[in-house]
Amino acid sequence: MASVNCIECEGEIPLEEDVMAGEILQCPHCGSELEVVSLDPVKLDLAPEVQEDWGE
Amino acid sequence: MIVVKVGGSEGINLDTLCEDLASLTQEGQNWILVHGGSHQTNLIAEKLGHPPRFVTSPSGYTSRHTDRQTLEIFEMVYCGQINKGIVERLQKLGINAIGLSGIDGRIWQGPRKEAIRVVENGRTRILRDNLTGIVKEVNTSLLANLLEGGYYPVLTPPAISTKGEAINVDGDRAAGATAVALQADTLLLLSNIPGLLKDFPDESSLITHVKESEIESISDYAKGRMKMKVLGAKEAMKGGVKRVIIGDARNPNPVRDALAGKGTVFE
Repeated sequence: MASVNCIECEGEIPLEEDVMAGEILQCPHCGSELEVVSLDPVKLDLAPEVQEDWGE
Repeated sequence: MIVVKVGGSEGINLDTLCEDLASLTQEGQNWILVHGGSHQTNLIAEKLGHPPRFVTSPSGYTSRHTDRQTLEIFEMVYCGQINKGIVERLQKLGINAIGLSGIDGRIWQGPRKEAIRVVENGRTRILRDNLTGIVKEVNTSLLANLLEGGYYPVLTPPAISTKGEAINVDGDRAAGATAVALQADTLLLLSNIPGLLKDFPDESSLITHVKESEIESISDYAKGRMKMKVLGAKEAMKGGVKRVIIGDARNPNPVRDALAGKGTVFE
């Protein structure tokens, strides 16, 4: 299984084969929430803290 | 003053709603009407080859995914067909209604959510092209001027962002924000079901009364779009609205029935 390293703790995060751009992954080591910002190669950034306000 | 929100789901009769409002107007009742248009927007979007897509938040709230093209279709239906259709009905009944969206005169302003979290197939992702937000400010002076001038406002989303972008906002919560800002006594949230049901879709399981202190405990009964209505009711009561009624817009006298307590009464 492919993997990527956490940008916070450098721990290994396993990747699903169909990982999606924008998907949020949680680091199993430090618990950080990370957003997949690109797919080829997979790059991560800290996921934005967003509230749940909704339209119609 | 009452604020009435009528949804845009299938089965809602706008003719009887307008007749009911006109008759109440003749008895001296002041009101502001807020409307939806979701069902018709879905139909038109399908016809235009841009079918609706709904997204769900991690805590289970669903909303329309609103990219630019969706927003333009949304405006065509909400601000055009439905808003003007309601205004025409009311004018025929002798009510000097004026139809405006939340963009006009910045009636409803608030922040756009630049990024939201959605759950798809059990996985959470960030959506960034969504033109949605929440109403934080209501232009009460404009609405008060209209009311004082004898006009009856018929309001519809979208709202306007602080940066001047049109944003899709939830109509129930926008109506709640309007009721709070205008210090309305009562907010009516009318749709195509009798109220909050304990066992959806069993209409005999209607919850008739909810005290403000009980809102949290009954929130679990709210499914789908009802979650937003309960949230709207909660926000309105917190803001000082004394009574919120979730009622049935399919009734022959939907406004009178709701004011008489038919539906789910929050007080």
